[in-house]
Amino acid sequence: MSSRIGVDIGGTFTDLIFFNEDDGSVLVDKVPTTPAAPEIGCVDAINSAVAPDLLRSSSYFLHGTTVGLNALLERKGSVVGFLTTSGFRDVLEIRKGSREEWYNVFWVPDAPLVPRRRRIEVRERMLSSGEALEPLIAEDVIDAVKALREQGVTAIAVSFLNAYMNPAHEIEAEKLIREAGFDGAVSLSHRVSGEYRDYERSSTTVIDAYVRGRLSNYMEHIESRLRAGGFDGTCLITRSGSGSMTFTEAAERPFETIMSGPVAGVEGAAELARTLGLGDIISADVGGTSFDTALIRDGRPQLLYEGSVLGMPLQTPWVDVRSIGAGGGSIAYVDVGGLLQVGPQSAGAEPGPACYGRGGAHATVTDAAFYLGMLASGNLASGIRLDRGKSEAALKPLADRLGYDLTQTAEGIITIAVAAMANAIREITVEQGFDPREMKLLPFGGAGPMLATELARELDMREIIIPPCAGNFSALGLLTSDLLQSAALTRPMPLNDESLSQANDILEGLFKDLKSRGSAGVNGTDTQLEVALDLRYTGQEHSINVQPDADDGMITAAADDVQNRFEATYREAYGGILDTLIEIVSVRASVRRPLSGSMDFTGTESIATSGSTDSVRAYSFIHREYSEFPVMERSQLSGDKQRKGPAIIIEPTTTTYVDADCRYTVDAGGCLRINLEET
Amino acid sequence: MDMETKTYTYVAGKNLDVDGSAADPVTTQLVRNSLNSIANQMRNTLTRASFSPIVYEANDFCVALYDHNICLLSQAPTLPVFLGTMNFCIEAAVEGVGGVEALEPGDILLYNMPYGTGSHAQDAAVVMPVFMEDGELAGYACNKAHWYDIGAKNPYCTDTEDLFQEGVIFPGVKIYKRGEKNDDIFRMVEANTRTPDYVLGDLHAQSASARAGADALVKLIHRFGRDTFRMCVQRMFDHGEAMVRDFFAKLPDGIYTATSTMDNDGLTDETIDFEITVEIEGSTIRIDYSKVPDAVAGPMNCPFPSTVSGSRVAIGMMLGEGGSPAEGHFRPLEVVTRTGSMFHPVAPQPCYLYGWPLMHAMEAIYEAFSKAAADLVPSGSAGDICAVQAYGYHSETGEFFFNGYALPVGHGASADADGATLYVPALAKSTLPSAEIQEAKFPFVFRKWNLAPDSCGPGKYRGGLGVDYEWQVMHDARLISTVENTKTPAWAQQGGLSGTCNGFTIEYPDGRIEKRNKVTGLPVPDGTIIKIHCGGGGGYGLPSERDPEAVRRDLEEGYISEQHARQYYPHVFG
Repeated sequence: MSSRIGVDIGGTFTDLIFFNEDDGSVLVDKVPTTPAAPEIGCVDAINSAVAPDLLRSSSYFLHGTTVGLNALLERKGSVVGFLTTSGFRDVLEIRKGSREEWYNVFWVPDAPLVPRRRRIEVRERMLSSGEALEPLIAEDVIDAVKALREQGVTAIAVSFLNAYMNPAHEIEAEKLIREAGFDGAVSLSHRVSGEYRDYERSSTTVIDAYVRGRLSNYMEHIESRLRAGGFDGTCLITRSGSGSMTFTEAAERPFETIMSGPVAGVEGAAELARTLGLGDIISADVGGTSFDTALIRDGRPQLLYEGSVLGMPLQTPWVDVRSIGAGGGSIAYVDVGGLLQVGPQSAGAEPGPACYGRGGAHATVTDAAFYLGMLASGNLASGIRLDRGKSEAALKPLADRLGYDLTQTAEGIITIAVAAMANAIREITVEQGFDPREMKLLPFGGAGPMLATELARELDMREIIIPPCAGNFSALGLLTSDLLQSAALTRPMPLNDESLSQANDILEGLFKDLKSRGSAGVNGTDTQLEVALDLRYTGQEHSINVQPDADDGMITAAADDVQNRFEATYREAYGGILDTLIEIVSVRASVRRPLSGSMDFTGTESIATSGSTDSVRAYSFIHREYSEFPVMERSQLSGDKQRKGPAIIIEPTTTTYVDADCRYTVDAGGCLRINLEET
Repeated sequence: MDMETKTYTYVAGKNLDVDGSAADPVTTQLVRNSLNSIANQMRNTLTRASFSPIVYEANDFCVALYDHNICLLSQAPTLPVFLGTMNFCIEAAVEGVGGVEALEPGDILLYNMPYGTGSHAQDAAVVMPVFMEDGELAGYACNKAHWYDIGAKNPYCTDTEDLFQEGVIFPGVKIYKRGEKNDDIFRMVEANTRTPDYVLGDLHAQSASARAGADALVKLIHRFGRDTFRMCVQRMFDHGEAMVRDFFAKLPDGIYTATSTMDNDGLTDETIDFEITVEIEGSTIRIDYSKVPDAVAGPMNCPFPSTVSGSRVAIGMMLGEGGSPAEGHFRPLEVVTRTGSMFHPVAPQPCYLYGWPLMHAMEAIYEAFSKAAADLVPSGSAGDICAVQAYGYHSETGEFFFNGYALPVGHGASADADGATLYVPALAKSTLPSAEIQEAKFPFVFRKWNLAPDSCGPGKYRGGLGVDYEWQVMHDARLISTVENTKTPAWAQQGGLSGTCNGFTIEYPDGRIEKRNKVTGLPVPDGTIIKIHCGGGGGYGLPSERDPEAVRRDLEEGYISEQHARQYYPHVFG
């Protein structure tokens, strides 16, 4: 028995999904998020939706949360003290010196998470060779701990220069901190990341210390209440770098969850791509305020090894999801120069688009879409009835400024919003050397299916796949996460057979480290050890991630094979290769354990809506005129033949717009497939 | 030197002979977004394939897309002061190969003559004309990148006396002719640099970037059709102009002057003053450099394209408008210069350190604007990148090493905020390389990387703190320092005070200590310690008006000492 419960906490709604492995049925629920204490809302949602006997027999609870991110956003984390190498007190404040808003002479950065009075230097120095230039002076650490305790510090982050080469001083410092009687959280930079770049690693270490208390309490609350309800399975949380980790491990490595917000949807998309053999796909998650897109190649999302959150670098793997401020709530306006602009400001959920009738006065993407008939009669799942008069009133001032009629204005808003989304997709495809025309578009989220046809057309893509439960797809994606752990170590060395053997020694250590992390109690079936190398041409800084042939976590490939693979990847990205020596920069290890049991959500039946299926007059973007669009219930289309557009397809949490030049069908897997005609 | 001097007034932007107002505003937005996306694509291609950290870390390059009239279509966020020069680069490169008639599809041009690029010879422009299938010229995809070395008398120079000591010149040559690589030129490049791997790698990256931009532009024009595309571009220009004029029209008309003082010309150690005037007339801004001194004997001269570019960047950053200007944004700006002067040198006057008078000029422009209204600009920054570089041949491997970076400095306070520690506006997008990466690659050990307490200019709002960097060379090496503003601190407004000046000190292993500013090729032995002080930003408003709580907080954080607090903020101590 491997029934799974997934809860994804968003800014506005908490989505719950329960997958019953016995009969393959899926149960979906949506409740308002309780921002002050999301852990309470989370457990309440489970208790109200999942019967006690089902909770007791469930194997996994999978959770997506932005609680760590919110702690950073609201600056409500632990009181952190920072110990660093003498001479490097201000690395966090000097940053990289650049301006986030490079064309703004007034821009100033946010204050660092740790103010200067709690950043303390200790005498010690490692060299990049790993040799100690100066020993750690114990009394400096002892004095620092005393000073920090006087300042009410509850967590200490330690980041010494070149600790990635030799962590001895950090380990010694931790011992001294404990001996001095400090019993709060201690984060050591080399445990957080084995990679070089002192500012990035220090920033990550401080974030780790800053959010750990909040996230631990949060997870403890949820787990204890689930246990009290009889849940006997494993609690897992999504990682920024895809996959999930146990609550136990997350309490030790909370920074790995910070950027996991948009990842669950991408995971679901990747799972779907693997299950259905879809080839390369682009996910397009359109919510109220943001558009999140990711490229999935060979069934896996692209990983990056360093990101930044709220202007602070985070040195941890993360799924390459590009987000822009464009969604259903994005506000349209005419700028001083007379051009129409859409977003990034959003009307959010309150007051929401003008047509929600909750006091919103600005025209949004949703207003434009509703005006054009793309949302049919406008009865939304949450009980909102859209108000056409309010949409018109909001569009009117823009139309007057532009010298347009309302239809042209609404079409313009959709077109500009879609163009911004298409540009975000170009960033992860065309700009990286990949051609979106050979890929499929996978839209989801409340507004994704509404804009999918236009988005595909803008990118010259032919195939759209709208997954089951498209409006709640992120929560569904949660349930598909493998258990994943990863670690890396920077060791620049020339690529040859000898260095590959050194890489294997490093891998052995990394896997040993991963085994020691808190993932006990997971009934992982076949454990997969994954190995990767960051390689680059000597002299270049940017590296390319290559997976060499390996067996049981050890590289078996010869240097020549690795070089060939590197060159093939390099050629694909840059169109050519160079006649320069290649070097290994970092060695990466991960342990992947698919959760036991099967989680096949294809074939999930759509749920009927209570909306009207009378046809509506809607705007066709291809014909640039209004015509009658039949309104179809998605649940009625299962296993259906291919139909010709136009159509508006409704389901409880989203609406799909199908233009006149499209054909559509629901396949055996429950996916709504739309094909655009060749132009 | 005898020469005829002439005053030039430069105004940007030819128009296309189409009516922009007929263009659909939505299509115009699509065209504009797509053009910006192409520029980003060009930037990504260049960054990822480039070899030298100065490109991929310091962002010491730019990419841009122009129409057939050499009017700016789009540019990606890259080195601000490069961006405003690219039209001049294209003009000069095309002229160099024999004019527009000599261009053929598949050609890629290389050009690095300082008077046309605005830079020193190390900054190499790569220009690809973009042709439609029927042979019509659609525009230009181009970039400019700082090469590690192209054979000047030293890998970096502060004491050149003419153009010919500053590097090898490519006066507009085809590195690709009808798509065929011209190996002769590549061999010339290779033979004339101390760092052939880096420079050839970067030249390939620059070519790839231009090609990516050219292909994408042709596709874009096809998508919208030539006529629609042109109308939209014209409307985009008109739109940008309207946005900028709207901003300028709100400023008080008048003539505002500021004077700047450079440490020296690089050859002698005499200070040099110059005066810049900003004239606001309705919605037009005129920046007048015509009263500056004649070109100096050393390399502290700024060629005309960078004079225009620095003016554009200074103005653009005041607008704070998102950073994707097109040609129209530049039209309300007029730049007046005098040939043969510091800000319009002519061949073969030296201009290796062109960026330094330019940084001075940007500060002077802001100082002049500060006299027009109290909240237009923040007070001054320490005005330099405080770069000290070390080079040599490694005794074991024989490899050439060369390391050194631009550094952030203290910035000025504004009417409602303390200043920060950032790169100067001219290098707004640069990033500081990690100490660990540098130590892994080069024979250096960093000793200090800290904010400099008390360096900030006092005021109601205080300036940003400067920084103290110290590193030790672990190998015999030679030093190059371009540290400026060691004699003149950041300017301040509304009663605020200046911060500390920049400084550069050498501590030899034998105990000798030398204070220097600019040096070229100075030999130092293994173990020498380099100390760089990046100065503090200027304050804003009277120090006596500073909130006592803010002073106490600065004390607590160690940003200022008690002595500094008592000296400048006695009101806090009752």
